[in-house]
Amino acid sequence: MARMAPGVGPKSLLHPGFIGAGSTLLIAGLATDIMYWDTSNWQWANSSAWLIVGGLVLALVAANVLIIDFLTGRAGRINWISFFLVAAATLLSLLNVFVHSRDAWTSVVPQGISISAIVTILLLVAAFNGWKVTTIRTPANGDRL
Amino acid sequence: MTHAMFRALPALCALVALAGCGDQGGDPMRQYGADPYLPEPQNYLLPPMSVPKAVGWKPGETPTVTGGLKVQAMATGLMHPRIVYPLPNGDILVVEGNSPGTTPFRPKDFIQGKVKARAGTAGRGGNRITLLRDADGDGKPEDQTVLVDHLHSPYGVAYVDGTLYVANTDAIMAFKYALGQTKITEPGTKLADLPAGPIDHHWTKAMAASPDGSKLYVGVGSNSNITENGFDAEEGRAAIYQVDRQTGAKRIFASGTRNPTNLAVDPETGRLFVVVNERDEIGPDLVPDYLTMVQEGAFYGWPYSYWGQHVDVRVHPQRPDLVAKAVKPDYGLSSHVAALGLAFSKGETLSDKFSNGIFVGEHGSWDRSPVNGYQVIFVPLVNGRPEGKPVPVVTGFLGNDNDTVRGRPVGVALDRTGALLVADDTGNAIWRVSADQSGH
Repeated sequence: MARMAPGVGPKSLLHPGFIGAGSTLLIAGLATDIMYWDTSNWQWANSSAWLIVGGLVLALVAANVLIIDFLTGRAGRINWISFFLVAAATLLSLLNVFVHSRDAWTSVVPQGISISAIVTILLLVAAFNGWKVTTIRTPANGDRL
Repeated sequence: MTHAMFRALPALCALVALAGCGDQGGDPMRQYGADPYLPEPQNYLLPPMSVPKAVGWKPGETPTVTGGLKVQAMATGLMHPRIVYPLPNGDILVVEGNSPGTTPFRPKDFIQGKVKARAGTAGRGGNRITLLRDADGDGKPEDQTVLVDHLHSPYGVAYVDGTLYVANTDAIMAFKYALGQTKITEPGTKLADLPAGPIDHHWTKAMAASPDGSKLYVGVGSNSNITENGFDAEEGRAAIYQVDRQTGAKRIFASGTRNPTNLAVDPETGRLFVVVNERDEIGPDLVPDYLTMVQEGAFYGWPYSYWGQHVDVRVHPQRPDLVAKAVKPDYGLSSHVAALGLAFSKGETLSDKFSNGIFVGEHGSWDRSPVNGYQVIFVPLVNGRPEGKPVPVVTGFLGNDNDTVRGRPVGVALDRTGALLVADDTGNAIWRVSADQSGH
């Protein structure tokens, strides 16, 4: 049975957890948008606005953690498809937070809920790659780890 | 923090290029009168904003008045004075108050509060009424005392028959008061509750007594810009109430008035007039604030529509039945001026020019570029109805570049000599405008 010596195995990536947490909030934002569309109850729209703000804060954290992943030798090559999906979802959510800052109905319908739906699709596709936007760096022989 | 944010604004605009930050308002004169120009409503990512920075008045600085008039500071160093109210014996009451403070609900509330605070809206209110005594009528009070203290965001005030009524944000209080008294020590009694918290977005409660003194009219503003805090929060709001002075019983006299910021009764006809601040964030030229005679039982549109049947799509569910009933107001005051002051001018006042009309204090805009308002205007009356072009009477509240603001006019009133009094809640002063007798 092959056993890796302690300390020489690949280190796990830190950023996917933060992308996953942020994605959860942004996807929940679609659910609350749908609830507002259905009920016209303002607290659903209010919830969406806070969820998107929360998602963007976690996106900022994830971006910093991604840099740490590179600096600490955890990340290998960037996966451009995953990176594009997550980056596009983030930029659209930034747009969406302004749409959601409108007052009442037009803060959600039709643009807000549409952007939330696109963001949700992008993030769910990215989920198939475990919300990783890089490969895990595999230590080569002789690497000082 | 605020300053950094303002430097960041152009960057934000670039970021959200379709935001419409560059959407400039047109000539406000198109929106005065019975038939204001109404463009198509817009949807913004960031509504057009321009908020001058409050700097106050330097010693010796005053607002500017038109020819034949002079202006002097009657009182300074006040705490956010909003309403100025002359009593029958010549004493002048100054109501000093500000918002009780609202709980921010949405991410936007945190930012918007800071933006508006730049122009002086966050000044601490005195929660009191100050009495100015100017027995010889020269505009220099011989005496200044605190008449009532520890009020709760007071705004409207009315003296009727040995009683001083004060409209706190949550209730009308009645104080036994003999004219000439300079301090009220006896606690007041509550005449009637008024819709207030939670939120209390438009907190001011304007008040005026009916000509026979049997009723009090009270203006209650909406609890949001356009129902974004939910319909439950709007229960009993955006309306003008009639309150029985003896029993405190109240009923809605007119509704659909988004923020009825001041009320006044025409001394000749006894008709009730109101200035109403209309909705924001659908364009620099939407929706014009207005001045109107209040028709009993009328519905003026908010939130479902504006200026008659112009539907506001931000309100959901919509109510076509109420839109159909919405009454057009009498006279547009142009958009976002924040008309807060209202006073009738009849007969011998400042000059012949102002012998039949209404003074309106325009506190000034935030949701518009270029800024609008920041002045006191005179609106002529023809057959008891506002008609014709407004005349700017007191101006010069803004710095030259419109980037700073020295003061902002709120309540206006005429004293017994016919001089115009203006409460300035950012300059914390009372300005007195009178005929210039020096012959210049």
